Amino acid sequence: MSSAPHLVIIGNGVAGNRAAEILREKDKDCRISIISAGPLLFYNRYELPDVFKGRQDWRDYLENPPEYFSDNNITLRRRSIVADVDTERRKLVLAHREEVGFDQLLVATGGAGYLPERLQETASLTHQFTTYRSAMKMYKALPKGGRVVMLGGDMIGLDLARTLIETGYQVTVVPGDRTFWPHEISAEDRPKYLAALETMGIEVINHGEVERIEDTSGGATARRVVFVSGETVSADVVVTQYGLAPMVDFMSTAGVDIERGLLVNPQLKTTRDEIYAAGDVCQIWEQESNGYRFYYGWRNVRKMGEISARNMMGADVPFETEVDEQLIIKDDGSIDSPFWEYSA
Amino acid sequence: MTINGTDLQIAFCGSAGDGTIAVGDILKQAMAMAGYRVIAFDQYPAEIRGFGKCVSRTRVTGEQVYSMKQQTDILVSLDDSHAIPHASEVRDFGAVIYDNAPMSLMMEGEHISGHLQPGQIPYALPIREISERATGSNRGRNMVALGFVAGLYGLQQDVFHTIIARKFKTKPAAVTKDNTAAFDAGFDLGAGEFLFDEVSIGAPPAKAKHEARMLSGNSAVVEGCLDAGIEAYFGYPITPATTIMERLVTEMPKRGKRALQTEDEISAIAATIGAGYAGVRSATATSGPGLALMAEMLGLSVMAEVPSVIFVSQRGGPSTGMPTKTEQSDLNLAVFGGSGDAQRIVLAPTNVEGCWRCAGKAFEMAERYQTPVIVLLDLYLSNRYETVIVSPDERFEASSSKAMVPAKSGEKYQRFAKTDDGISPRAIPGQAGGIHTVTGLEHNDLGRPSDQANIHMDMSEKRHNKLSKAVDHPGITITKRFGDEGDVEVGILAWGSTFGESLEAMMLARDEGIKCAAMKVVMMSPLPEQPISEFMDSANEVLLPELNYEGQFAGIVSGTLGRPVNRLNMVPGTPMRVDDILNEIRRLAGREAKDAA
Ligand SMILES: Cc1cc2nc3c(=O)[nH]c(=O)nc-3n(C[C@H](O)[C@H](O)[C@H](O)COP(=O)(O)OP(=O)(O)OC[C@H]3O[C@@H](n4cnc5c(N)ncnc54)[C@H](O)[C@@H]3O)c2cc1C
Repeated sequence: MSSAPHLVIIGNGVAGNRAAEILREKDKDCRISIISAGPLLFYNRYELPDVFKGRQDWRDYLENPPEYFSDNNITLRRRSIVADVDTERRKLVLAHREEVGFDQLLVATGGAGYLPERLQETASLTHQFTTYRSAMKMYKALPKGGRVVMLGGDMIGLDLARTLIETGYQVTVVPGDRTFWPHEISAEDRPKYLAALETMGIEVINHGEVERIEDTSGGATARRVVFVSGETVSADVVVTQYGLAPMVDFMSTAGVDIERGLLVNPQLKTTRDEIYAAGDVCQIWEQESNGYRFYYGWRNVRKMGEISARNMMGADVPFETEVDEQLIIKDDGSIDSPFWEYSA
Repeated sequence: MTINGTDLQIAFCGSAGDGTIAVGDILKQAMAMAGYRVIAFDQYPAEIRGFGKCVSRTRVTGEQVYSMKQQTDILVSLDDSHAIPHASEVRDFGAVIYDNAPMSLMMEGEHISGHLQPGQIPYALPIREISERATGSNRGRNMVALGFVAGLYGLQQDVFHTIIARKFKTKPAAVTKDNTAAFDAGFDLGAGEFLFDEVSIGAPPAKAKHEARMLSGNSAVVEGCLDAGIEAYFGYPITPATTIMERLVTEMPKRGKRALQTEDEISAIAATIGAGYAGVRSATATSGPGLALMAEMLGLSVMAEVPSVIFVSQRGGPSTGMPTKTEQSDLNLAVFGGSGDAQRIVLAPTNVEGCWRCAGKAFEMAERYQTPVIVLLDLYLSNRYETVIVSPDERFEASSSKAMVPAKSGEKYQRFAKTDDGISPRAIPGQAGGIHTVTGLEHNDLGRPSDQANIHMDMSEKRHNKLSKAVDHPGITITKRFGDEGDVEVGILAWGSTFGESLEAMMLARDEGIKCAAMKVVMMSPLPEQPISEFMDSANEVLLPELNYEGQFAGIVSGTLGRPVNRLNMVPGTPMRVDDILNEIRRLAGREAKDAA
C-alpha cells in the first residue's frame, strides 16, 4: 500500500461523488476510495421515473462513464457494505469481513426509504422507489395503464406520480403525516396541497390508517389495501413513500454523536476530527434554531459534498443552504418543489 | 462467429480441491448437450489438492470457433487469492461472481470486490453458506456458483441435472443428490437476481445432423486410433500426452487389443516399430523430451520402411522445460530429428476434430507410404475441449498397405523394389514367398546391406519421392485458405493450435477493413509447397505466428521456398493472444496498432 493518505468515502451518491471530485481536484496523490452498497456506478436517481417513459437501460442513467473512475484514480468498491467502523484502529469492517484502513472518513450513506412498523411485515407485497433496481421491479410489476396505490406520498413519490400520470397510469395517494416530505406542511395548508394533487390527475383518498396489504395475485389486480376503517382499495402495485431515514446503523460504535442522523458542525465534521458526514445522512448544527437539522435535495447535498471535501483538505468553510424550501402551487394549480430541481 | 448473438466465455477460478475443473466440465457438457458449440481450456497445477490455482474457461458459441477469447464475459471466483489476478480479464459490463460471506476476516485487498474495474458488474452471494444450507457441507460451493450462473443467464436447468447425474453416476446416489441440491439453490438465487451485465445467450443453433460430442484433443486422438483399428499401443507417461495412454489402456482391452506401458520411450518406439513390422496398426505417444529419445529409432522406421505412428504433444522446452505450459517448439525435432536424411510425414492438426482425423489418417499414411508418421499436438490442443460432430459414415481405411504380390517361381521377393510411385509391395513376416532381410543399414532391393554409392543415392531418392504422394492423400485437408479471396494485404500462415487465434485475428482484421486471408497448414512434412507458394503469391505481406522462439516453421517455409515471411514468435507458455496477431496484421497493413485490451 502506498503511504499517501487514504480518504474513504462511504456512499456512492451525489454527496460522496461530489466530494471525491473535489478531493481529487485538491490532491492529486491521495488515495480515494468510494465504498458503495449498490452494484452500479454513480447514476442519476432523480430521473428514475423515466423508466416509465421507456428509458430502461441503467447505463443511460450513469453520471460518469466507467473510465471516469480509473482516469481520476478513484477506487470504487461496489456491493461492499460497511458493517462497522473501528475508529481507534481507523478501520472499516465490510460485511464480507474485509477490513479497510482509512486516514479520513466521509460518511455519505444517505437515507433508506422509511417504512412504518405496521407495514414492515408485508414489505414483500409493496414496492419502494429508491434505486434503479427497485424502479425496474416496479415497472415490470405494473401492467400498462395499471393502478398504483401510493402510501404516504413524499416528494420523491409525488415526482414519480406525476410521471406515471403523464405516461397513462392511474395513481391513488393515501396521504399520511409524511406526505410532501421533506416539506413540513401545516394542518391548515394541507387541504390546498392535496387539492393541487387532484388537479394534477392524482386521486387522493382518505380512508384513515392502513391496516394491512393483501396479496390478491390471480385476481383482477395483484394487491388490496385494507384500511382500519374496513374500506379497501385495489391496486396493481402498492408503493410506500414515507420519506427517507438516515443510514447510520453501522456508525453506532464509531464513537460519534448520532441523533437521527450523524451530528455534524457547520463544517460537516462529526464529533471526531477524522470523520466527516455529508448528504441525507447528516444533521447539521444550526445556530439560529439552536439545534441540528437535515437539509435535503440535490443542490444542498451536492454542496455538502463539496464543503466536506474542502474541509477535509484543511479549509474551514461552513455549509449554508441556498435552497428556498417552499412547496409552491403554480398558476396551473399543480405543485412544484425545490426538491424536484436538479441539473443533470 | 456469433449465431443468435451467442459468444460467451465463462471462467471459473479456484484452488485445487475447490472443484473448479469439475464445474467447468459440467458446464461445457451441458452447453454442448443444449446444442451450443463449445471450446474449453483448463489450466491446473501439478500440485495436490489444496494447492495451486485452477482456471476452467469455457467459450460457448453458435458456430464452432477454435480459439479462446482474450476477455472473459463471466468470471466466477471460488478462491479470491487466485481469482484476483484474473479480474482484469473480464470485459466492461461483464460479470464477476464471488462469495460475500467468506469464513475468515480478510486484510484489505484480499477480497476480490476491491479489484474490480468500474465497468465490471459484481454479483455477490454467500456461496459457502448456501452450500451448507442446501447440503450440510461447504463442498457444494462450486455447484452453487454454477447454479447461480445458470439461473442468472436462464440456461436450461434440466440439462444440467442430466449432466450432473451422468458425472456422478459411479458414486453413491447421495453425491448426485447433494450436487443437484447445491446447483438448484444457486440456480434459484441466480434466476431471481437482476441482470445488470451485457452478457446474453441466444437460442442454440439448429440441431446438428449428427451427435455432437465434447472431446479434448487427446481424447480425439484416442477416438481416431480406435476408429482406425489400432491393435497395439506402447507408451511411457509424460505430460501432456499421458491421457492418450491412460484412455487407450482402458479402451483397447475392451476391443481385444493390447496396450503396454514400456520402461521408457526408446522401448516404446522400438515396440511400436516392431509391431508395425509385424503388420499391425501400432502407435506411441509422447512429448518433446520423449521424442528426443525416440529420434534414433525413428531412423530405423524410415530406413527399414516400417509404418509407425507417433503422437507428440508439445510443451515448453528444452529439456524438462515447462511441463504444464504450451509451446510449438518441437517442430524441428519432429520434421528433422534423427540421423541422416530421414524424411517422414508430420501432421499438425489445428483443432480437436483435426486431432481425430489426423490420428486415423496417420495409420493409413504410415501403412501406405511405409514410413513413420508424427502427429504433432501441443498442450493447448491436447487439453482443450471442443464440440466435435463427425458423420458416422466417415471411416478410415481398414488397410492401406500395398500388399506383396507373390514372386514368380525362381524370383526373389524384392522388399525394397523400385516402383513408379516409389512404394514397394510389402510383405508381412510369415507371409509365404515374402522372405527378406530388414535392417537399419543401407540396403539394396532385397534388403541386403550395401554401402555402394549408387544404391545409397537411389534408395535415398526413393524414400523421399514416395512421400511426395502424401500431399494428395484422400480424406484429409493438408492446407486450407480462409478469408478474402484473391490478392490480400496480409496473409497469415499458421499451424497447430495457433491457427485458431490466427483465424479469429484474421476475421477481426477484415471487420476493420483490412484485406486479409489465413491459411492453415496441417501437413508440415513433406511441405505442401504449391498451395503455400500460391498463398504467399497472393499476399502483400505474409505473417507467420508460432509459439516458439526461433520461428521454426518460418525457417522451414523460407528455407524451402526461398522467400521471406514476417515472423511473430513468442514463448509465454500460454496460447497466443488474438490481439497480438491482430496488431501485427494492422502493422503489416500499415494501420495503427491498438492497445491490447
Ligand atoms: C428515486 C429518488 C428520486 C429522487 N429525486 C430527487 C429529486 O428529483 N431532486 C432532489 O433534490 N432529490 C431527489 N431525491 C433525494 C436525493 O436523492 C437525496 O437527497 C440525495 O440523493 C442524497 O444524496 P446522498 O449522497 O446523501 O445519499 P444517496 O444518494 O442516498 O447515496 C447513499 C449511498 O450510500 C450507500 N450506502 C448506504 N449505506 C451504506 C453502507 N452501510 N455501506 C456502504 N454503502 C452504503 C448507498 O449504496 C448509496 O450509494 C430522490 C431520491 C430518490 C431515492
